[in-house]
Amino acid sequence: MTARGTPSRFLQSVLHNGVGRYVCQLKRISLIFSKKGQGSLGVRDFIEEGVVDFAKNNPGTVVYISPQSCRIPKIVAEYLNGNVKEETVTNKASQEIAELITKLSNQSGLDIIRIRKPFHTDSPSIQGQWHPFTNRPPRLCIVFIL
Amino acid sequence: MSLLGMFWNQTVCLLQHFRGRKNRCYSLAVRAVRRAFVYASKARKAKRRSMRQLWIQRVAAASREQHMKYPALIHNLLKCSVALNRRVLCDLSITEPRSFQSLTALAHARRTEGLRAALGDGAEPPGVFSRITQLQ
Repeated sequence: MTARGTPSRFLQSVLHNGVGRYVCQLKRISLIFSKKGQGSLGVRDFIEEGVVDFAKNNPGTVVYISPQSCRIPKIVAEYLNGNVKEETVTNKASQEIAELITKLSNQSGLDIIRIRKPFHTDSPSIQGQWHPFTNRPPRLCIVFIL
Repeated sequence: MSLLGMFWNQTVCLLQHFRGRKNRCYSLAVRAVRRAFVYASKARKAKRRSMRQLWIQRVAAASREQHMKYPALIHNLLKCSVALNRRVLCDLSITEPRSFQSLTALAHARRTEGLRAALGDGAEPPGVFSRITQLQ
């Protein structure tokens, strides 16, 4: 895709998350599936086996299980900064769904778009950023204030 | 499920910033989007070249401020086994001007020693910087 046509952002962390305490950025995860459909078989298996362990391991995340009559089972992940991510999980195995859910819980809610630079500093310059008078003798910098 | 509808849904964010009828009319938009993709693909290679060119320009300007030329700086830093690449040198020259000054001083010292050794024809180079070290 084009650089100007697609959105991009700078590298950032949500409120310096890992520096002090780590807060899991996943707020809510909803598993929408159907009780009888064949596409939701993996989701139903995951709910039998893995969902309770996931909920116990991540006490900061609310897990909603909603059986509805739907054609495509979905996982809706909501993050603390308001972003919502939907993933369809039709015909996925229980193991794959578990991996997907761990991936969603490890993400921060920031958009997955092109990151302009793979680094970021709040203080890029220690010796003082270069300006045209850094290497000039100080008598050139005298300003007379009248 | 018209092809037209699919096209606009998928590419409308891409061509919002195009000029003239290319952002509104289907035939023109199709051609413009294809060219944009081609330019984007070609530019990925060219970006690396132009970034390196920019770094070299900046390092050359910074070293000329310190009364040293770019080829001399790079060659002498190499001889002192200072393996800083052009990107890092460029960032140092902008954000860390005193460190860059000391790097140019190092290169200058190594250069004068090299010239003295070449002209003087001595067996052991007298200076500190050109002593040959074993790199592990």
